Amino acid sequence: MKKLSVVVAGTGQIRDLEIQPGTTAGDVLHQLNLADYLLSKGPNEPFFAAAESVYDKVKDGEKIFASTKAEVGVLALCA
Amino acid sequence: MRIKDLGSRPAPATIRGFLSRVMRGQGPAIPVERRILPYWQEHGWTRQGTVYNGNYQTSYAAFIGYIEEHRGGHIDFYLYNPSDEIRSHSHWACFQHRGTDWYLIHMARQPRDVSSGIITVEQLIREAYEQ
Repeated sequence: MKKLSVVVAGTGQIRDLEIQPGTTAGDVLHQLNLADYLLSKGPNEPFFAAAESVYDKVKDGEKIFASTKAEVGVLALCA
Repeated sequence: MRIKDLGSRPAPATIRGFLSRVMRGQGPAIPVERRILPYWQEHGWTRQGTVYNGNYQTSYAAFIGYIEEHRGGHIDFYLYNPSDEIRSHSHWACFQHRGTDWYLIHMARQPRDVSSGIITVEQLIREAYEQ
């Protein structure tokens, strides 16, 4: 088991969790009822994919971020 | 003689403090309140009314930015003097020149809050440097 603190963007709220091996980003977001959010460890690492194991990527007691989905782009011009 | 006795002097306060703690054992733990700050604030952005000023920060580079929150929830994100790496990114077309090296970053999908937008722009900067 690892402890994890999720900072929810827009609220500043911190949600404390305990996760088991194999817990995915999707599991975390579902548990926190944050359907339209993405998890990341910060600006230096990409967003977690929904099926990606968070457990393997975080240290015990680490703080990560949940931010609402956004995309840079102009629909006609950008992929 | 290899060793010369220079006399004695009192230990520095830090060492005396450490030794006295060791001698009397550990006291009860003091709970520390953690600060609950939104991402923008924790990362050094400041807010004046509906305008935020700060830096988009990654391990590769940081860029000056400002953000304007409009009524109705629309948020504009600006970045100053984008680097060649950003100019080479596939989303460069989404940066609209606003004069004097300021660029408005067009969002195809609007973030719901300022912090989410900052994180999205920082992710784009990281991608630009890793491409």
